[in-house]
Amino acid sequence: VRALPISRFIVSGNSMVPLLSEGKSVVSFNWYYLLSKPKIGDIVVAQVGKRLVVKKISAIRAKEVFLIGEYRDKSTDSRNFGWVKHTQLIGKVILSF
Amino acid sequence: MKNLLTSLFNLLPSETVFAHCDIPCGIYDPHQAQLAAHTIIRMMNLVGEVHEEDPKMLAHQISRITKVKEEHAESVKHEVTVLWGDYFKEEHLKDYPKLHELVFKTLKLASKARQGLDLEVAKELLANVQTISEIFYKTKGLEPVRVKSPYPTEGELVIFK
Repeated sequence: VRALPISRFIVSGNSMVPLLSEGKSVVSFNWYYLLSKPKIGDIVVAQVGKRLVVKKISAIRAKEVFLIGEYRDKSTDSRNFGWVKHTQLIGKVILSF
Repeated sequence: MKNLLTSLFNLLPSETVFAHCDIPCGIYDPHQAQLAAHTIIRMMNLVGEVHEEDPKMLAHQISRITKVKEEHAESVKHEVTVLWGDYFKEEHLKDYPKLHELVFKTLKLASKARQGLDLEVAKELLANVQTISEIFYKTKGLEPVRVKSPYPTEGELVIFK
């Protein structure tokens, strides 16, 4: 869990179009999942390998979530990198601009 | 309130977060969408040209033509969506502010062309695809030109100089 409650990210890539497009800023609340369980439909920032990714939670099982891109034909997501542990979730996206 | 929040959040340092497709190959081309739009026009013309005495063969021929028309309408939607979702960026919208609207109308026309046999719809679809092709080439710094296609539709193709 990050020390700061809030982080800002710049989106690179188009897998979250039309929800988030390239160059948009997103703000994550990093302490959200300390208080709440992940829910289907949450937009999250997650650490996958060395990369940070922004995706939507599409399925949940014990301590793991399945992430997919909004633009499913063109997304590298859990269909490629598999289930993601809750501990890999950086935070929930609460704002984009 | 949101403006105030975004101004405050802009003070935060930013990191890159990836929302990438499988392979950011950078290879995009509006040609396939044009080809498909021409094919729809051709199929609509062919429906009117079928001469078959045998009702079974008539149904068979019309079915085959309709299948191809519908496949190409879906192809237009796919190709245009890929350009819209993967290629066009925010900065392109500044120069072409009606791009979203144009894409939206084009997808609707493609669905309408799939459902029916209205040649005017198919022609309007081709015109929209040509406009998108011109915008595409311009964003690449290329000069688009319209040339007569070698297809039986005798319509135009947008290529670049």
